[in-house]
Amino acid sequence: MSRIGVFICHCGENISRTVDVELVASTASQFPGVAFATDYKYMCSDPGQSLIKKAVSEHRLTHVVVAACSPRMHERTFRKAVEQVGLNPFLCEMANIREHCSWVHEDREEATQKAIEIVGMLVERVKKNRVLPTITVPVTKRALVIGGGIAGIQAALDIADAGHQVVLVEREPSIGGHMAQLSETFPTLDCSQCIMTPKMVDLANHPNIIMHTYSEIEQVDGYIGNFQVTIRKKARSVDENKCTGCGICMTKCPQKKIPNIFDRNLGTRTAIYVPFPQAVPNVPVIDRENCTMFKTGKCGVCQKVCGPGAIDFNQQDTLIVEPVGAIVVATGFELYDITEKPKGSPIKGYGEFGHGKIPDVIDGLTFERLASASGPTGGKILRPSDGKEPKQVVFIQCVGSRSREKGISYCSKICCMYTAKHTMLYHHKVHDGQAYVFFMDARVPGKSYDEFWRRAIEEEEAVYIRGMVSRLYQKGDKIVVMGSDISVGVQVEIEADLVVLATAVQPRKGADALAQKLGISYDKYHFYSEAHAKLKPVECATAGIYLAGACQGPKDIPDTVSQASAAAAKVMTLFSKDKLEREPIVARVKENNCVGCFACRKVCAYGAVEEKEIRDRQGNLIKMVAYVNPGVCAGCGTCQATCPSKSVELDGYTDEQIVAMIEAL
Amino acid sequence: MHTEKPKHDFEPKIIAFVCTWCTYAGADLAGTSRMQYPANVRVLKFPCTGRIDPVFIIKAFQQGADGILISGCHPGDCHYISGNYHARRRFAAFRKLLEFIGVDLNRIQFSWVSAAEGGKWVDVVTDLTERVRTMGPMVEFKDLALEEQWSGGLNSPDLQEIYEAM
Amino acid sequence: MTQPIDISGYTRITESIRTEAKRILSDGTVSAVIGYTHVRRKGSTQPILITNPDDSEKLFFSEGCLNNLVVYLTKSKKDVPKTGKIGIVVKGCDLKAVVGLLGESQLKREDIYLIGVPCNGVLGSLINPATELNTKTIAAKCRECTDRMPVGADFVPPVELAAMPQMEATYSDKIAKLEAMTPSERWEFWKEQFSKCIKCYACRQVCAFCYCEQCVCDRNRPQMVEQSPRPSGNFSWHLVRAIHLAGRCVGCAECERVCPMDIPLNLLNRKMAMEMKELFNSEAGFEVREKGPLNSYDEHDDESFIR
Repeated sequence: MSRIGVFICHCGENISRTVDVELVASTASQFPGVAFATDYKYMCSDPGQSLIKKAVSEHRLTHVVVAACSPRMHERTFRKAVEQVGLNPFLCEMANIREHCSWVHEDREEATQKAIEIVGMLVERVKKNRVLPTITVPVTKRALVIGGGIAGIQAALDIADAGHQVVLVEREPSIGGHMAQLSETFPTLDCSQCIMTPKMVDLANHPNIIMHTYSEIEQVDGYIGNFQVTIRKKARSVDENKCTGCGICMTKCPQKKIPNIFDRNLGTRTAIYVPFPQAVPNVPVIDRENCTMFKTGKCGVCQKVCGPGAIDFNQQDTLIVEPVGAIVVATGFELYDITEKPKGSPIKGYGEFGHGKIPDVIDGLTFERLASASGPTGGKILRPSDGKEPKQVVFIQCVGSRSREKGISYCSKICCMYTAKHTMLYHHKVHDGQAYVFFMDARVPGKSYDEFWRRAIEEEEAVYIRGMVSRLYQKGDKIVVMGSDISVGVQVEIEADLVVLATAVQPRKGADALAQKLGISYDKYHFYSEAHAKLKPVECATAGIYLAGACQGPKDIPDTVSQASAAAAKVMTLFSKDKLEREPIVARVKENNCVGCFACRKVCAYGAVEEKEIRDRQGNLIKMVAYVNPGVCAGCGTCQATCPSKSVELDGYTDEQIVAMIEAL
Repeated sequence: MHTEKPKHDFEPKIIAFVCTWCTYAGADLAGTSRMQYPANVRVLKFPCTGRIDPVFIIKAFQQGADGILISGCHPGDCHYISGNYHARRRFAAFRKLLEFIGVDLNRIQFSWVSAAEGGKWVDVVTDLTERVRTMGPMVEFKDLALEEQWSGGLNSPDLQEIYEAM
Repeated sequence: MTQPIDISGYTRITESIRTEAKRILSDGTVSAVIGYTHVRRKGSTQPILITNPDDSEKLFFSEGCLNNLVVYLTKSKKDVPKTGKIGIVVKGCDLKAVVGLLGESQLKREDIYLIGVPCNGVLGSLINPATELNTKTIAAKCRECTDRMPVGADFVPPVELAAMPQMEATYSDKIAKLEAMTPSERWEFWKEQFSKCIKCYACRQVCAFCYCEQCVCDRNRPQMVEQSPRPSGNFSWHLVRAIHLAGRCVGCAECERVCPMDIPLNLLNRKMAMEMKELFNSEAGFEVREKGPLNSYDEHDDESFIR
């Protein structure tokens, strides 16, 4: 038998001005099951809460309804109050007679009547409320970081420094990502390698970090605090434990003419290689597609010269399972290319720029390699076609970005700044050269950014032309750039020696496939979606997974590092407790009734529904039923509305509770 | 400032099924902004429109609702990623069924009202209330209930007499 | 004008089914075969489950084979599926139910052996079982059937079907007529129909998709649907039934056939199927789908009805 207490708040005069609170209280006291009803000036105040607590004890109340403001305002307050006198917090409900009643209706009679009905509904509802114990989930205090660029490195170091183990997975043979490819970085022009490589070494030497390079995520199971991640460690053909990194294999390898991807195909490398001299780990990998041994079965020079005997042509991919409690996704970006795209592709190429077939039309990252002291030209700006020093260089911004007709409508954010940087680097290296920049508008907000951009124009003599380029074509050894200068309204034609395109930032290829493994959502460009654009910019909607860097959207280095540290902080918050507590508003399956049609699993956006076997005592399979993992369930209840037999029920919003309210109408 | 409210012969009963994150919060905002709207609506709070079962709608009509409002987050804004998309499909189908068996769809309103749209909440509720008021009471389901009472014949004078004698 | 329907192929289909059933039972492919058999009353049929190859002679196919046998494979008939791999005789329409159940994890393809029957239609009812099959006596569902040849069955008798005469589409016509009415006229129509309902639940019992262990309509806490066979509860039952089958019903029309009160139940199902096609471009029973139309969504779904 319920003994319900009903507490009507005046909210000063906010409620009592239009609602006859005494009448509501006296009417409510007559409702079946109500043992006590009263009204008070400020229920949420200390004396108000004491009044409730006292009444619960004195009248042996089993349930409480507080008729006051919106539950969004004070539900927590009152639930906490009843908990202090030994009542389960979920046996307390709020009737919203302020926002939904006294504030929106002027007629006292009408408002009072409505308030009585609202209270009546909640009284019927609370009778059906059940004791809900707080749900706790254990937390594995190890983190997985996917991606070994600056974002992944920063997040991994922060978490590891806090004393937690980190597993870092990098697809390439070395960590470092794009930042390792850059020459100098804006707005300070400090050398990228100089600030990056120490961090890479720190990571490799950190006692709390396990690094899996040349590895990919195969499968992700589990949920917040309890993920099981299967990692595919690709066959390197070199034993990491034996290799000393002496490099003799690379000097002796007969295959020397393979385009170097790290140098944007400008230089060459051998078939056994490290991507760049400062690679971490400094362990080469055999490129099986180009290795003579793998192609013809004859060669094996590297194996012969390797002192420690680290070369293993028979090495296989291995699968490693790592238990982790949280995941930071930092898979970064790649640059859009202007080549012809397949028919029907939403993103188009640039036929007007020669579809990438003019050798001296390069992108920004290639220019970085040209300008880098460790690059294929040793830091000299030499054009790819004939190795001559270009005297007229045209930079074109917003290639791919901000052009709806080409399929990408977003701004890539970093191009304005790096193009300004490129003009400066060019000016420093080719004193008699001239840089031109075609731009739509300069988007350079950020600390010291605008000053930097202005310096490119005012001190480093870059000529900025506001307008777009309509066509590029080869003429002799020059590239004719046809564009417009909209600020003066004239057509411009420049005969350039080199053209540098600031192409759009795109998510990595395969970003969608990884998202599906992780169960996180992504936008139409395959950038990963944060849980809330403003208030949860680091979290994914899937609990326990966090985002860092350009995989979420175009970002420069300072923003990427900030977000990586923020993601690390979120992971550390999660790891600060041994167990995770959560509100027990989760779905539960009534296994007796469930027939295993798994409609619930089909509609669950969180992947919280699993298959469970029901067996008899002899171990024979009786049936398969759904099981809702309370650690993953977010409590939306879509499963229950979908289940034809209502074999899954959302605690806190059961059919009984809802039907009780409807029937009270 | 206080305008005289017209008294009506018929005050419809409007039941609103709303999600807690958007529409309930939008209705709260209408309150904090002291907007005014008809007092006919009773709000049932759900975590998400995805939780709203079509059976509740039938149940509400049987309990005497004259009009029904189902409202949640705008597409893309669902707190639970996709609950409102599922609800949109479910009710796109269910309203067709109701229409086919002869329920006037003017009695059911679907809307997206965000937590920032207090004004829209007021408009939606006001419009629905006024529309249902002009349509008059929803008698169909209530009549069915009445038929039930007759079929048992509990109110016949003979039975009444016997009952009282007992 | 009534025209006869050529079903001369049914005799050869019968022979073919018998041979195949005998083969798969003898070589152990299946442990049982579900099919149709004669009963004493001429022209009438009943379902049969055979486990002995010699019983294959009992099987046959005729215009009187109305039942959708697939219902015997679902969990509501618990004992049948437990016997091992099962052979089952299915018409094109029944086969669609199998496809639906595969998508709803109720069947595993490797657990069933499908003997598909090329079909030129069956009778509307067995009240007069000896009736000749013609454009008048043919079942309403067969009038608008597009699945005469079973697709994806393990075995199909090698029989060419005779061409069918043109027939009016009864369901579409009726739906169009109802749609042209005012809401209150439609309400009156359904009120009369549903008032007849005696809640015998034959429609539920015979439906391949009503495989829930406990129907929501039998639930007491809370009572979502009033259970007594009175108008209000009847309305709820038929509405819940229609919405739960929406996007899943394959139109075998068994519910309508078994209804002792002649309520046009398939009309509701067909209407919902039409809506599923129109709203979500979804049709049940043609392919094993991971998700049905009402447990999936598209961001660009129509929302013209939402303010």
